[in-house]
Amino acid sequence: MAAPDLRAEVDSLLLQLLQDLEELEAKRAALNSRVEEGWFSLSKARYAMGAKSVGPLQYASRMEPQVCVYISEAQDGLQKFWLVRPSAQTPEEVGPREAALRRRKGLTGTPEPESFPALQDPLNWFGILVPHSLRQAQASFREGLQLAADMASLQIRIDWGRSQLRGLQEKLKQLEPESA
Amino acid sequence: IDFFPENFYFNVDHGYLEGLVQGCKAGLLTQQDYINLVQCETLEDVKIHLQTTDYGNFLDNQTNPLTVSKTDTEMRKKLCREFEYFRNHSLEPLSTVFTYMTYMIDNVILLMNGALQKKSVKEILVKCHPLGRFTEMEAANIAETPSDLFNAVQVETPLAPFFQDCMSENTLDELNIELLRSKLHEPYLEAVYEFCKNHGDVTAEIMCPILEFEADRRAFIITLNSFLYPEGLRLLAQAEDSDQMRRAADHDGVYKPLFGAVGGGSGGKTLEDVFCEREVHMNVLAFNRQFHYGVFYAYTKLKEQEMRNSVWIAACISQRHRTNINYTILNHIPY
Repeated sequence: MAAPDLRAEVDSLLLQLLQDLEELEAKRAALNSRVEEGWFSLSKARYAMGAKSVGPLQYASRMEPQVCVYISEAQDGLQKFWLVRPSAQTPEEVGPREAALRRRKGLTGTPEPESFPALQDPLNWFGILVPHSLRQAQASFREGLQLAADMASLQIRIDWGRSQLRGLQEKLKQLEPESA
Repeated sequence: IDFFPENFYFNVDHGYLEGLVQGCKAGLLTQQDYINLVQCETLEDVKIHLQTTDYGNFLDNQTNPLTVSKTDTEMRKKLCREFEYFRNHSLEPLSTVFTYMTYMIDNVILLMNGALQKKSVKEILVKCHPLGRFTEMEAANIAETPSDLFNAVQVETPLAPFFQDCMSENTLDELNIELLRSKLHEPYLEAVYEFCKNHGDVTAEIMCPILEFEADRRAFIITLNSFLYPEGLRLLAQAEDSDQMRRAADHDGVYKPLFGAVGGGSGGKTLEDVFCEREVHMNVLAFNRQFHYGVFYAYTKLKEQEMRNSVWIAACISQRHRTNINYTILNHIPY
């Protein structure tokens, strides 16, 4: 491959990398905000309901996840994180044309279509009528969750991009050992 | 000075306690105390500031690190000690007032929910409000289902009279148990109201409006919260949206200005804030009269509000949200 083509590829990779980094930083800031807001809303809920009414004492004895993480792997080895509801059994709904699908966090490893009980909203652990602040807290944390998955995907893409970049720069060096 | 002959006999039975509660009330956190607390940067600072108040060294025995939860627990313990002291030294009819002030209803509901979710009674007893214990609570050990518990409570506890008008049904699921809680509060508040009214005198003058306001406040808050949970809760609320609720309130001389004070946007007051301020105001006014039982109720409520305020400030400080503290608290203070 000619050096100019390689250089062009290096440039575009670098640009993509910088873009991804910028996006990652933005998402990180957003995640921090969501988490802060979530905890603040929880404090407001505690003010309204009583500090002991919003805490570990209210946890259900049997907890079921509302969200599971799927990792999909593309042909070039690039992995991506997806958030799905546990009842989404069929991998086709999850991600487009992936080679392999692996379940990371979920109820059990078995893929048989058992009928799951209707998903319990954890908000109900705290009562039937909960103050608005508690709902806001849940919404903030949910958004944060999506951001976390996006950030994980971005970080993998950045690492992959960096290794690609290194590879290309090696090739360049071999082609033009005298260039600065 | 209230010039009724009954007052001359009030002190025989209740004078010591009235003096005591007036003294305790003087020890409530003041505006200056709150200003100092709000300027703290860490929970350790909060602890130091509280040492200069009536709270004293209540956090001394806590292991590091100090948490908001521990602060709340210790404050509650202190309130319970004071309350139990008052209660144990009281004579009738003041003792009945103290019994009415307890949280037995909330505890029974907790026990029923626990039975529904098949949790161990030990687990639930931890959650129960210490100011709501009654001896028959231990009997919850043998109740397997919410219905058993319901029957046991009906027969054996001070709450029995309130259950009569409520559901006798066996479909005690989560929703119904929550509805039961609201339904129990009605006859309970009415019973307290009747007690105060029959006692007459200054106690009735002070307590009856407070209780009426409490009943209305509960109704408004439940209605407000239920707008986000419409199924099943139209039983409690006739209004179908907050506009209707507001229009209903407009007809009332007391509530119209309260609703008017609700600010828009995130910097404004919420309805709960506005109700809170009014409740604090009414409780403070109770202390301007002598020879009545309302002061004990008012003191307990003011102390609980103080706890909520302090824990809120502590939570904001520990989350480094100090700038957000001011927006409601300084209105929920007696002085």
